[in-house]
Amino acid sequence: MRITWRGVELRLLLPILLLVPLGYIVTHIALSGTFGPGPMELALGYVALFVGAHLVLVASGHRGDQVLLPAVAAMGGVGLVMLNRLPQDLAGTRAFGLELGMAATQLLWFGVGIVAMLAIAIGLRDHGILRHYKYSWAAIGILLLAATLLFGYEVNGARLWINLGPVSVQPGEFLKIVLVVFLAGYLAETRTLLTSARLRIGFLSIPPLPYFLPMLVLFGAVMLIAVRLNDLGTALLFFGIFLTMLFVATGRRSYVLIGLVLFVAGSFVAYQLFGHVQARIEVWLDPFADPLGAGFQPVRAIYAFGRGGIFGEGLGQGLVTLGGSLTIPFVHTDFIFTAVAEELGLLGAFAVLGFAAVLVFRGLRIAALARDDFGGLLAVGLTASLGLQTLIIIGGNTKLIPLTGITLPFVSYGGSSVLASFLMVGLLLAVSHRSAIGTDAEPAA
Amino acid sequence: MTGDILRVVLLALQLGFVALLYLVLLRFAGSLLKDLRNAEQAQIASRSGIGRLAVLESPEDEPQAGSTIALGPINSIGRNVNNTIYVEDDFVSSTHAMLTFRGRSWFVEDQGSTNGTYVNGHRIDRPVALSFGDELTVGRVRMRLDR
Repeated sequence: MRITWRGVELRLLLPILLLVPLGYIVTHIALSGTFGPGPMELALGYVALFVGAHLVLVASGHRGDQVLLPAVAAMGGVGLVMLNRLPQDLAGTRAFGLELGMAATQLLWFGVGIVAMLAIAIGLRDHGILRHYKYSWAAIGILLLAATLLFGYEVNGARLWINLGPVSVQPGEFLKIVLVVFLAGYLAETRTLLTSARLRIGFLSIPPLPYFLPMLVLFGAVMLIAVRLNDLGTALLFFGIFLTMLFVATGRRSYVLIGLVLFVAGSFVAYQLFGHVQARIEVWLDPFADPLGAGFQPVRAIYAFGRGGIFGEGLGQGLVTLGGSLTIPFVHTDFIFTAVAEELGLLGAFAVLGFAAVLVFRGLRIAALARDDFGGLLAVGLTASLGLQTLIIIGGNTKLIPLTGITLPFVSYGGSSVLASFLMVGLLLAVSHRSAIGTDAEPAA
Repeated sequence: MTGDILRVVLLALQLGFVALLYLVLLRFAGSLLKDLRNAEQAQIASRSGIGRLAVLESPEDEPQAGSTIALGPINSIGRNVNNTIYVEDDFVSSTHAMLTFRGRSWFVEDQGSTNGTYVNGHRIDRPVALSFGDELTVGRVRMRLDR
């Protein structure tokens, strides 16, 4: 294997690797009230992980995108600094004789995620293999869902978790990758047929039903179970991914229009039928109606945004706990963006949005440069997934849209979320590597 | 007094942290802009055609394995030298298949060949729409349609 110097990646990574230790120092000084760096193992571990990932990519001669890894490092870095600042007993691992706090556990998952990302980016030199097994992927997806339905247990009214010995996993996080891979394979094959619409009802053109049906069935199953599992955020995310990929594959606005009409109708029905949906909407419209009950979380989040202002309260100086309990419940997962906005202000919050935008920009660029339809659609779907997830949870935090509990990729605490996000970046790297090497360098099979 | 110094240092460090965040963001913006400019030129250089065939496998080495064939809107594939894409292989008929670009997609149609034309390993019996990344096999020659 020939090595490739990834200069752009290294240049972008360097300032980020300063960022995390600096954040740790600021937090330590603010919390302890004394000068000194404080414990730096985790910050340095984080730096080592990303330098290591960079070196492995260099050594393996990977020619994929060079901006993805730094963008991930920036988001994860801000996340780790925030998690380090929160009470460490919020979450953690107690397994294999180890007892790790929240930030340490997050770092552990970053390590696992980076290894998985590298394995996909380097091992999957031809992403075409994924395409040939698209129905196997659909089956795996359905199994994941069924497993959640049968063995899942509830946290906060949503049944998303499965217990696997020492770790609990959220199958939904991995399900979205499976959904994207399946849809990319299916749409790459039927794209031409879906584009040549034959049925016309009024000004709307409907795709030929036999080609559309398997997708509708799969999608209906996903939506139904997502609603049954009370996981509205994931349902919304899946719907967004589906519509984006369908639009990109066919270029037909009528499909998006039909999808949006279906979405509005579905939301209305869900609002009428399910109590928990109704409660969500009411809390969103007026959280102050019940500030100590249902509206507790959003009201506290709004106050936190207000305290942060433009420049923020400063790392370690926000009001995280009040009288021994958290001011915002689930600040480390669903409300991590609020914590960033409180301590780093509007400026810090914008920076996080900026990093997410960079990630989306690169993802779409990878899609545009992909040499095959499957690779392009795969990249679009993965990018849509990361981007929409960011928008949905930040919109929920800021009370722009009703709150649905999903994670902010790479920033929120959570093993499943971190691992799934890294898998997606690994796939994006694999696709971009394939278009970079082109067809000329390909060995004859 | 030490409390005041601490507060000033903390404020400075805090501002430094936010400044560093924006330095990172600025660098990202810089590299993205540079990339956009390069991409424009690269695009003009590499994307002039409507598609091409990458030859993955070719036992007789005509066309050469590993090479790329630029495609026009209408391409005939066969063992006859008058074909647009001349294939030297005993399992290929003289006029084997037609590869055409119609509207916005590629189509392939078998021309009554003896051993058939295969798309992604399935033998075709009527004109079939190809998407980029699909594999086309005539005789023992395996090719992939690329952008």
